[in-house]
Amino acid sequence: MAVEIVQLEHVPSSYRIHLALFRNVKNAGFLHQQLLARNADFEYAFIDASTIVSRVHLLSAVFKAVNSSVNGTLRTPNVHSEIVVSLSSSSNIADAYRRFGVSPSTSDLFVVKVTFPSSATPEPPSADSISQHLTDNVEGDAVPATDETIRTITDVRTVRKSYKLNGLAWLDAIKDELLKRQEIERLILGGMALRGV
Amino acid sequence: MTATAAEAAAPHDFPLPKILTNPASTPPTLITQGAEGRLYKTTYLLPDIPCALKYRPPKPWRHPVLDQRLTKHRILSEARILSKCRRDGLRVPDVYALDEAAGWLMLEWVQGTPVRVNINQRLGSRTEGIEDDEELKDLMRRIGAAVGKMHSIGVIHGDLTTSNMMLKPPAQQQQTTDGATGLEGEIVIIDLGLASGGVHDEDRAVDLYVLERAFGSTHPRAECIFGEVLDAYRQSYKQAGVTLKKLEDVRMRGRKRSMLG
Amino acid sequence: MAAVAAAAAVSSPLPPSTSPSSTTATTSTTTKTTTTASSPPAAAAAAMSSKSSWIALGCEGSANKLGIGLIRHTPTSTTILSNLRHTFISPPGTGFLPKDTALHHRTEFVALARRALAEAGVRPADVDCICFTQGPGMGAPLTSVAIGARTLALLWDRPLVGVNHCVGHIEMGREVTGADNPVVLYVSGGNSQVIAYAERRYRIFGETLDIAVGNCLDRFARVLSISNDPAPGYNIEQLAKKGTRLLDLPYVVKGMDCSFSGILASAEALAAQLLQLGPGPEGAGFTVEDLCFSLQETIFAMLVEITERAMAHVGSSQVLIVGGVGCNERLQEMIASMAKERGGSVFAMDERFCIDNGIMIAHAGLLAYRTGFRTPLEESVCTQRFRTDDVYVNWRD
Repeated sequence: MAVEIVQLEHVPSSYRIHLALFRNVKNAGFLHQQLLARNADFEYAFIDASTIVSRVHLLSAVFKAVNSSVNGTLRTPNVHSEIVVSLSSSSNIADAYRRFGVSPSTSDLFVVKVTFPSSATPEPPSADSISQHLTDNVEGDAVPATDETIRTITDVRTVRKSYKLNGLAWLDAIKDELLKRQEIERLILGGMALRGV
Repeated sequence: MTATAAEAAAPHDFPLPKILTNPASTPPTLITQGAEGRLYKTTYLLPDIPCALKYRPPKPWRHPVLDQRLTKHRILSEARILSKCRRDGLRVPDVYALDEAAGWLMLEWVQGTPVRVNINQRLGSRTEGIEDDEELKDLMRRIGAAVGKMHSIGVIHGDLTTSNMMLKPPAQQQQTTDGATGLEGEIVIIDLGLASGGVHDEDRAVDLYVLERAFGSTHPRAECIFGEVLDAYRQSYKQAGVTLKKLEDVRMRGRKRSMLG
Repeated sequence: MAAVAAAAAVSSPLPPSTSPSSTTATTSTTTKTTTTASSPPAAAAAAMSSKSSWIALGCEGSANKLGIGLIRHTPTSTTILSNLRHTFISPPGTGFLPKDTALHHRTEFVALARRALAEAGVRPADVDCICFTQGPGMGAPLTSVAIGARTLALLWDRPLVGVNHCVGHIEMGREVTGADNPVVLYVSGGNSQVIAYAERRYRIFGETLDIAVGNCLDRFARVLSISNDPAPGYNIEQLAKKGTRLLDLPYVVKGMDCSFSGILASAEALAAQLLQLGPGPEGAGFTVEDLCFSLQETIFAMLVEITERAMAHVGSSQVLIVGGVGCNERLQEMIASMAKERGGSVFAMDERFCIDNGIMIAHAGLLAYRTGFRTPLEESVCTQRFRTDDVYVNWRD
């Protein structure tokens, strides 16, 4: 499999963002366990892909987390946990992990790895080594993370609940599903930016 | 942060906010320099997503604690109001990201032109037949409906002008196709930097009065059709009539009160 | 006089400590400046073409200062002949009441007028017009001074010229500083306005929605029994210099307008807390100095903000500060810093002209007089409410 390297606007050049999408994941319980055990070999953002509506949605969370990392204003232990929390529109950290993070029942999984030189690791891991590590440890099918694929994975009902998007009559009135999804994405971005502050 | 000739003539080259010093596919462009802060056009996440970055730089004459407090408060307040408008179905720019401590707010870059420009283009040098211009009157009614919608959800803009509304052309339409008037499209209310929540008729009436005055001074020849704005406003929510009644009072006394020496 | 036209930090020496009823002589009989005011319209100028020198006597008494001064205009110069002031100072913890202030003005008027004439070396026959403050201000003191002015007019058979107090401040400011077309921040005990000139009027772009900034300071001073001598604002400024801690106070700006009543209520509450508990970590945790500092930092930041917004709006980079609060050096410093960032500069006045005085009334009145303006006796009634933008400014282009 190949890990995609994503170039984001206004991110310092020392930061590198790696992205992968796995379908039919069989060992989500194992991955979840590694996070709970704080296994240093598993420093990734593992995100339940059914909670994501688009690439822009996911990348917005990455951008926010990287910005916090650069500014030294992380609210969680590292940039990876920060990505998961950044998806949330509330300031409740535990709630964010539960809603957006990997769980034993996850079958479609986004993996994000952010690397940058630090005093602990002056030479961050290469894309190849990250790719290899994921291939070795994630039991699932790596697929390109396109918006078309994401659309088939999203659990819109749960997403709307997570972002409190129910009961908006004007939104329900939109007949065109693509347009409706686009509006949902827009509302989510606003909710994430404000994260309940 | 409406662009005026005065603001465009910035006295210095201002240092970029830190976020914009990071690499991007295209360099940011300074759009306006107002008293509030600066507006840049730049990109969000990807090269093909343009965005507006509103930056409130530190004001060195203010006590740093007060400066931080005000900057944070204003960034968050504008973002909250935009977010509320959007949720309640009013078309305003989307909020993409913000960093209240660093003093910036990234918003959707709304395509199109300020309504002021569309109206002036349409008017050209005409002095007659303006009161019978159905397309222009239709634009007026869309403005009235948008302002009414905003008031109906309890938001007061604080600086309504035809520069603070964009006319976003329909996605598929080419401006040059037959029958296009340059007046089609959706009204997007922008620049809610002075906006506040408000449910009093008085606040809404003053908001309308500000628009009326600004319209009169910006488009004196089109003043004859401003009534269309108010007619559409009247239809747009239940208490609109009460607000319009109040507007008559506000007109009578002017914005300014008599003052005690 | 030209020396006060410095930009940025202008020192404003306050009068040496004065006894609770003192005359402050700030006369300079010899200095001259080239007038910056534009010439009167052709018709009026033609009517008076034979004259090449005009003298006006100005009477000011809209608040607790009685000021009488004489000024001479020639087509190319403005000369201050005398500028006297007599201030009614109330005991600490009290404000000046209209009745007492009016009595003060009535009592002192004749003596001050005599001294002003004597110091100017001018005979009543040399005076062209009697200018007086017609408003805005406190009714009773205004009326007392107007009676004095009418008496002089009848006695000497000279015309009256009613002057708007705010316009007096603005015109004197332009004259003294040489600022051509500035945005004017007018801050005093009774007024807080941001003004810019357009089409023959001084238009109010922003103003207080409730009490004036000086009133806010004066009333705050009363709670802590800060001395009114020479002025409560001056004493707050001195205390604020020793403050270090910024306390949270409401900050209320709406567009180009602002409000001070909420700040006053909060500051008063904190002052009450301080009086009850005392300063120090065991008590309120802050000092009188901290409170004065916080009050100044907050309200001045508001004033700078509305001024900056007006400057951006009209595209001006010059600011002129007038009115009693304009003497405050911290305010001048903040405005100067803002103006500098906008590529402009600030013009500030010293206390001779910032604080209410008769000469500014004489100056603005004489400008109007020279264009043919007169106030008939039957129209010389004072008004407490007299908006700056009510005055038709036909002496400017």
